[in-house]
Amino acid sequence: MRNSVLKQVLIALEGWKDNPKGLEEGTFKTGDWLKSTRMVGLSTGEKHFIFGGIAQDLRSDGRQRLHYRPISVETGVIPQANGSARVRIGATDVIASIKAELGKPSMHQPGKGKISIFVDCSPTAAPMFEGRGGEELSTELAVALQRCLLGGKSGAGAGIDLSSLIVTEGKICWDLYIDGLVVSSDGNLLDALGAAIKAALSNTGIPKVNVDLGPSPDDQPEVNVSDEEFLQFDTSGVPVIVTLTKVGRHYIVDATSEEESQMSSAVSVSVNRHGHICGLTKRGGAGLDPSVIMDMISVGKHVSEQLITVLDSEISAAEASATD
Amino acid sequence: MRELRVGLNQTQKVRLQSALKQLEELSSRVSNSSTASVTVADTIPVNLEDGVLKGHGTTDHNGEVVATLCGVVERVNKLVYVRTLRARYKPEIGDIIVGRVIEVAPKQWRLEINFSQDAVLMLSSMNLPDGIQRRRTAVDELNMRSIFEENNVICAEVRGFQHDGSLHLQARSQKYGKLERGQLLTVPPYLVKRRKQHFHHLEQYGVDLILGCNGFIWVGEHIEANEDEMMQEKAFTPFVTRRNICLIANAVRVLSVLGFNLSLEVIIDTVEASSSSNLDIKDMLGAEFCVQTAEREVQRRTTLIKKKG
Repeated sequence: MRNSVLKQVLIALEGWKDNPKGLEEGTFKTGDWLKSTRMVGLSTGEKHFIFGGIAQDLRSDGRQRLHYRPISVETGVIPQANGSARVRIGATDVIASIKAELGKPSMHQPGKGKISIFVDCSPTAAPMFEGRGGEELSTELAVALQRCLLGGKSGAGAGIDLSSLIVTEGKICWDLYIDGLVVSSDGNLLDALGAAIKAALSNTGIPKVNVDLGPSPDDQPEVNVSDEEFLQFDTSGVPVIVTLTKVGRHYIVDATSEEESQMSSAVSVSVNRHGHICGLTKRGGAGLDPSVIMDMISVGKHVSEQLITVLDSEISAAEASATD
Repeated sequence: MRELRVGLNQTQKVRLQSALKQLEELSSRVSNSSTASVTVADTIPVNLEDGVLKGHGTTDHNGEVVATLCGVVERVNKLVYVRTLRARYKPEIGDIIVGRVIEVAPKQWRLEINFSQDAVLMLSSMNLPDGIQRRRTAVDELNMRSIFEENNVICAEVRGFQHDGSLHLQARSQKYGKLERGQLLTVPPYLVKRRKQHFHHLEQYGVDLILGCNGFIWVGEHIEANEDEMMQEKAFTPFVTRRNICLIANAVRVLSVLGFNLSLEVIIDTVEASSSSNLDIKDMLGAEFCVQTAEREVQRRTTLIKKKG
């Protein structure tokens, strides 16, 4: 996964040599996100102040470049879902819910379940999300999340283990529907959604299933879904997403919407507990030097260690208070 | 309104609750009938023989005047109405406000000021730098963008409502005008009370603090009125000043999360408390400092009441 993305980046950069304009026009075709976050109108003075803060390693709310805002997690917020969580990072507020349904595995991968990720931007977050306004951003976020959590098309390098979702190979599997909802937006939505999905997965109980296979292998098997027994989902391998936003010559984590409006490009790295990269996405029109990307990945990996620790303790605290 | 949420642990929750309860008791001791606050369905004591006029937020119920909104009872002659506490900003003449330019229109700028409509700043309501009135020339009108552009943050004074209902501003002195090199904070407008002074130059910090009545608060580097503008364009804010700006901005954030009135004394007090406890600036937005600030406010108000009594 990591190699293929880097290859893409390199190919794009090769192309840039021949056609320098191509990159500015968005070879990655991810400029739309950038456009939508630009609604925050800032005067030149304020922009200059933000740039200066990032250059001097003291951002507007007193954080350094690699500091996250306080994170709070709440689990089990939606009783109808199999698992749900609400994550707040500063003023950014997102909810993730997980619904499990029985389905049939695809022909190509009989040994694996299916996961689909959808994101919705609520109009309460910003007036521009009203009607179809939030659709563009929602799709971008969903695609980025799929890349960061589900790995490649073949399912290789997936952060979530798809083979644990199988009930009967080739016949029955669990389909997980992951829905993200952006309630309030103050930048860094992808990291927040990633954290919410991680928390929701650890909150998820999948009902125990008894399968009575028919006498012949072609028969449709009979399925009994238990109402009482639930299996916990193994979330130790679920990665966290760290977005490094490049503003000026430096890059920062956990950008607020004001800072995001000033970004030239952003790289999102999803890293699991073992420090392995599970996915990588880049957005923003401006190109990046491959060495900068490598640098960003290693910084992202370092930051993810702290983030995982914080998130784990928050999730376990939330689970403890939910059972009280 | 974007709001910060703080995750409190169990002991912090208990401490915050007790602090807030104490504050509640203190405020109920101070208040008298003239500033009585009501919630929905509270009876408003009136002398019905005087023939009261029931205003906004009141209704007649079994011969009694009953509040239909939460807020403060206001009486103007015969009229009785309820002024809600969490309402949008309502401008009054002479208010100092901070706003953002959203449109450069013929002879005027339109400003977002957190009011139900946009405010208008006429070109003719701006004096020339040496205090002379403008002459209405076409050239002057064409150069409007050299004064304020879209998205600029500016500070002005409420001039009044025109006949057509639009709100007009004026900026006739040196202290008004464009604000640069700093950050704009948005707080609920009811936290900023009208005072004599809204411009504060904090000399010990080298920071300008403008508490706009509309809940827009500007914290920025101090700029002398006659300083050369070209000089400042390139250089970044010095690190020490930036630190102070962040400190003050975070103090304002904490106070607005807790819902305390923003006055210069309280803000400075919070800043000093944070620097004396050697706290990292970013940790000011954390739970512990938030609880401490609430407890300090209880102490401050108790001593105030003791002094009065």
